[in-house]
Amino acid sequence: MIRIGDVLVSQGEGGVYNERMLGGARVWEPYRSKLAALYHVGKGIELGPAQRVLYLGAANGTTVSHVADYTEVVYAVEFAPRPMQDLIEVARRRRNVIPIMADATRPDTYAPLVEAVDLVYQDVAQPDQSSIAIRNSVFLKPGGALILMLKTRSVDVRKDPGEVFDETITALKAAGFTVQESVWLIPYHQDHAAIVCIKPAKPRV
Amino acid sequence: MQSYWFGDMEDGCCLPFTGDVNAVVSRIHSLSTQMDTFTPPDWRQAVACGFCSDRADYIARLQAVCIAAAERSVREHYSGKDAELLQMVRTLDEMDTVVNILSERAADWYMVRHPAFSRKYRRTPANILVRTIREKSRGALGRVAGEIEQLTDTRTALAKEVSARANEVLPNTSALIGGLVAARLMANAGGLLPLSRLPASAIQVLGARTALFAHLKTHTPSPKHGIIFQHRRVHNAPRDIRGRVARVLAGKLAIAARLDYFRGVAVPEFLEPAQERIDTAGKSEAK
Repeated sequence: MIRIGDVLVSQGEGGVYNERMLGGARVWEPYRSKLAALYHVGKGIELGPAQRVLYLGAANGTTVSHVADYTEVVYAVEFAPRPMQDLIEVARRRRNVIPIMADATRPDTYAPLVEAVDLVYQDVAQPDQSSIAIRNSVFLKPGGALILMLKTRSVDVRKDPGEVFDETITALKAAGFTVQESVWLIPYHQDHAAIVCIKPAKPRV
Repeated sequence: MQSYWFGDMEDGCCLPFTGDVNAVVSRIHSLSTQMDTFTPPDWRQAVACGFCSDRADYIARLQAVCIAAAERSVREHYSGKDAELLQMVRTLDEMDTVVNILSERAADWYMVRHPAFSRKYRRTPANILVRTIREKSRGALGRVAGEIEQLTDTRTALAKEVSARANEVLPNTSALIGGLVAARLMANAGGLLPLSRLPASAIQVLGARTALFAHLKTHTPSPKHGIIFQHRRVHNAPRDIRGRVARVLAGKLAIAARLDYFRGVAVPEFLEPAQERIDTAGKSEAK
């Protein structure tokens, strides 16, 4: 990851959302983007120019634009029409962003479009976040990584966030993932956790 | 066989799809994929097919197709009659808030200029007060009061339009509860389709979000009504049967919303008995 001093940045065309520029690079704010927050509180997954990424819950393309600065191609899935309009605009200006208007709980609707990827990044406000991740792992290459931004309040507002967190980790392990890192995004985002896991190189028999 | 956006693959052989961007968009909407036997597409297959020349070409063409597909989906999403009504209702509610805040502020400002002025024991309606402020104040305060009055006029006109549009988009729901309240219910649910999918129990407490979550989290008493409190049968009902009336009304509204979505015209065979049931709700049961 590129840092100027302590500031996380990405190299690309600026002005996407009036982001601050620093020495010609785009500042990637941890308070705005959960992925940027992960790179501040934890290790995350190093992004590189050879990587192909499936991004679930792309919203209006703010974080997508930074991921696209680092990687080869980003398949950006978003369900709601309003943010999709912004995402399409981002895609028009970046050759490596593929916008897909579809429901992340239904990978079969966008399966013919998405090639095998090195990283699945998921940030969706849905109750069944672990099963969405597991269903989308068909696109993940063996040995590829999954970054799950767990919105505990979307799973169940009544439950304790810690409990939701433990249940999600258990579900991911049961599906064959190896959990590499799991951190809370405090102080940048409340009740949000990041879980980084690896898909095993060979499927379990 | 595996079908991808660029063509069909069978036993290692590939049949490229021919057609322009729009044809490919229609194709991807029509494909159905079995996920248990699915393997993701590979750009090299598309090159071997003769569909594209290299990796860059593959991505460029895929992007063009996906942008066109997304644009088409967005357009379809906004083509429903409820999409604009939703924005109208939300604008209306925001205007109410703005008018209230500005009126309060203008009144405070006016009281600074007139230290002897008080609103106590006068029962002056807000719009009359704003008019007085406009007439009696010089400079910016007078102009602000004038703007508030204009905003109120625009708000009234918008409310009429909302009501008329709701009668058209939600004929059955509007007949039971009035256009404005019907439109608010629809906006709160997020559209006509989501409203028609809600159970009656959810419609009953639409708009009582804070109370509902307080109930779920800390077991305070559950809310009896949300937006539907605005219906006269609910807010005029005696306190002890209000919950009952709200429940009956919500039950009928749930049916009405489904009729609105699936038929789109008023259904008298449903409306008359439903109206009667709502009118007698609580009365016969209270015996």
